[in-house]
Amino acid sequence: MQRKKMSRLIQQTVFVGPSALFFILIVLVPFLLGIYYSFTNWNGVGSSEIKWVGLDNFKQIFMHDTKFRDAFWFTVKFTVLGVVLTNVLGFVLGYLLTKPLKTRNALRTIFFMPNVIGGLLLGFIWQFIFVKGFASVGKATGLSFFSLPWLGTENTAFWAIVIVFVWQTAGYLMVIYISSFNNVPKDILEAAEIDGASRGQVLRSIIIPLVMPAVTVCLFLAISWSFKMFDLNLSLTKGGPFGSTESVAMNIYNEAFANNRLGLGTAKAVIFFAVVAIITSLQVKFTKSKEVEA
Amino acid sequence: MKKYSKLALVSVLALSVVLAGCGKKDDTSTEGNKDTASGGTKTIKIFQFKVEIAEALNKLKTDYEAEHPGIKLDIQTVGGGSDYGAALKAKFAGNDEPDIFNVGGYRDLDTWFNNLEDLSAESWVSDVTDVAKEPMTKDGKLYGQPMNVEGYGFIYNKDLFTKAGITETPKTLSQLEDAAKKLQAAGITPFENGYMEGWVLGNHNLNVAFAHQDDPNAFVKGLNDGTAKINGNPVFENWIKLLDLTVKYGQKNPLTTDYNTEVTAFANGEAAMTQQGNWTQVQIDGIKKDLNIGFLPMPIDEDAAKNDKLLVGVPNNWVVNKNSAVKPEAKEFLKWLVTSEKGKKYITDEFKFIPAFKSIEASDTIGPLGKEIQAYSKAGKTLSWEFNKFPDGAFNEFGSQMQAYVAGKSDKAKLFDGLQQTWDSLKTAK
Repeated sequence: MQRKKMSRLIQQTVFVGPSALFFILIVLVPFLLGIYYSFTNWNGVGSSEIKWVGLDNFKQIFMHDTKFRDAFWFTVKFTVLGVVLTNVLGFVLGYLLTKPLKTRNALRTIFFMPNVIGGLLLGFIWQFIFVKGFASVGKATGLSFFSLPWLGTENTAFWAIVIVFVWQTAGYLMVIYISSFNNVPKDILEAAEIDGASRGQVLRSIIIPLVMPAVTVCLFLAISWSFKMFDLNLSLTKGGPFGSTESVAMNIYNEAFANNRLGLGTAKAVIFFAVVAIITSLQVKFTKSKEVEA
Repeated sequence: MKKYSKLALVSVLALSVVLAGCGKKDDTSTEGNKDTASGGTKTIKIFQFKVEIAEALNKLKTDYEAEHPGIKLDIQTVGGGSDYGAALKAKFAGNDEPDIFNVGGYRDLDTWFNNLEDLSAESWVSDVTDVAKEPMTKDGKLYGQPMNVEGYGFIYNKDLFTKAGITETPKTLSQLEDAAKKLQAAGITPFENGYMEGWVLGNHNLNVAFAHQDDPNAFVKGLNDGTAKINGNPVFENWIKLLDLTVKYGQKNPLTTDYNTEVTAFANGEAAMTQQGNWTQVQIDGIKKDLNIGFLPMPIDEDAAKNDKLLVGVPNNWVVNKNSAVKPEAKEFLKWLVTSEKGKKYITDEFKFIPAFKSIEASDTIGPLGKEIQAYSKAGKTLSWEFNKFPDGAFNEFGSQMQAYVAGKSDKAKLFDGLQQTWDSLKTAK
């Protein structure tokens, strides 16, 4: 008995040890340090001047920081739209691309492609499209949709980010949905067909309940991605025009590195972490309860 | 039991490999120290932010290493405003401190002060022009070597001005408006405004209002201790007229015009004036060689003598890390850069800098913009760069507020209040 325990312990150390070590070093330690810094006034340079300020940073954020509030509101709006649109689009694309189409594989690749390029680059490409490309199209066709100053007003800049984000992530979610659609047992579908169920009925009563695990994953990913969106924000609008499209992640970055208030920045990050953690775990709990097995 | 102790040994080994991987950085640094002690190769780590000179620096590295056996330069470049600061902080936090790096003056000097070596005793110090010393001076000691001198104002296209029949260059606000009217009448867009960039508005444009104060230092100090206010300041009342003028006679969609678009449009002759500095010369040359251009001042009222000035300052400085293991070598490098013939040649011919040193003559290759900055500097017709005294990061917020003003989302009173509030909330950062 003793031996068995020992052997298991050693096996665990060997197999889990290294990754656990990395997790501790790369995630846990910085996280705890971050919590510590959120109670200090550290400016991010040199460790000699770190002073404990208690809850001052949090007071500052909740009582005075209107910019953080604006950034949060922007992020919430963006997340709601981003999550709904990416999932709907990903679901529809996935549904259509599991049908026997000739161009199926090519289309799958095309829709997935933006995800491979990466947010920073995409932002710059789309900045060019919005500023130069759309303007030229607008000039050539006279369509007012293209002549809008896309990155120049609050509303259009907001939609510009949403559009690019949806375009970037829908492809990834599509892949998850496709694999899930493929896992729906054929015998059930056949049985439904024989029973005379219409396409809509099949989709509603069989496919959707059976792909709920994918919905859980996709919602989770979309929520956390759009909450934490930073690279797209940085390269596409830099938070402009007039700071109207500043996401929380960017607000934190600016506070910590541009304003040289790392303590305040980490305090914001801690709050942000708590909010995202609560929302995503509620969501996972909720959608998990909807999952069924065939 | 033996079997298990073997397994345990293996796991310890595996862990130690992992740990060794983590600790690799330390190993090399101690190795470096050993070399220092035994007189082997010494490496000077340089971390700099001027992307424009990255290639020339690589050439310099080869030359310097050939001339100085036993010294190796490890040059890294990370460009762009706050990103350089963030990267530098990461380096310091990660115990990978560079020996030589860049620090802007004033506020930035305060931020990094505890890591900086006093350079007052260096032989080149007496050669630095007085204007270039001030930003890096604290308690009478100099902590940095100015990289170069740069200046900005309205760059204008002389050919377009001639085409519009403007014979005399505008030196006051009303003259500038007349010129703009004439340009517009001739079918030329007067201004190309790159107002998408926070720094074009929040640093350079706003700086005009600070630099025109009777005593800019006293004004900044007043803002910091609460005795001065932006609202009601007469210079700001005048300055806003200049901003209005550029927007009124500017191109469509200034808020979606970024730096590149701005410079490209200007170089292509799509507009007659643009608010930029001599650093655009290289880019303008790349688009249209030998474009006939020059600088105009940025006037805010009707006093021609007071307004005929360009805004000239030191964008950045070389500093030596106080805790560096190769301090003497790092200092020697900076000395070589500004005293040896080869080093000077790099500054003038390769980097195409306007030198911040009395004994170094700028080369002809700096182009018409650089020459004009130099001419204004020599005649003493300059205004200072005050934006390095702004609270850390404030220019971002200033830029946003000015963008809102340009877009018509706020008015003068709201803008001034916003600027004041931003200053008040960020000044306490330290």
